[in-house]
Amino acid sequence: MKTIKVLGTGCSKCNVTYQNALEAVKRSGIEAEVSKIEDIMELMELNVLTTPVLMIDGVQYIKGRVADVKEIMDLIAK
Amino acid sequence: MENQTLVTEICPTTTQSWVKNGALILDVREKDEVERLRFDVPNYHHIPLTEFEDRFQEVDPNQEIVVVCRSGGRSLRAAGFLVNHGYPKVVNMKHGLIRWVEKGFPTKGDVNEVLPASSSSCCSTDGKTGCC
Repeated sequence: MKTIKVLGTGCSKCNVTYQNALEAVKRSGIEAEVSKIEDIMELMELNVLTTPVLMIDGVQYIKGRVADVKEIMDLIAK
Repeated sequence: MENQTLVTEICPTTTQSWVKNGALILDVREKDEVERLRFDVPNYHHIPLTEFEDRFQEVDPNQEIVVVCRSGGRSLRAAGFLVNHGYPKVVNMKHGLIRWVEKGFPTKGDVNEVLPASSSSCCSTDGKTGCC
């Protein structure tokens, strides 16, 4: 099962990315756990600078912008 | 933003003391923000947060560094990033430029960039250091 995390401070872009991640998982039909990380200490420990960050299985793929559904699906399929 | 485990936070008044002792003010706001209003301090460096990962090594790790931004959120993340990369003398200035301006500390540019803003709260969180 893949683990998808959206790292952010709760801003609108972070929320959009989170919703896109949920939609991407739904369309892909794969098993994945999608969560939001908003705690500032966790963000600092993960060296997050610009938000949102899309992290899949521990790898930060997209930083500082909204990831759209299609590109999240592509990343999930890797 | 009250967790002090990784990064120590200081208020603008304490930052003034650090400035007098030669600390570097490291501003992580974006370029357009800095063009409108900047900190008027002698030892100042600007690295936008969007460029920070590529440029943070411009800063001497042996120097005392106060990371600043508009309200203290972005600078906290940047300060944590520096600490994680072995910078031992890094603090974050909480409440950022907004509180700095409210306190009447020196700036260059249009202070309306950050005012008006609520200034009713005290920056002390431990009840010991008094309001700054």
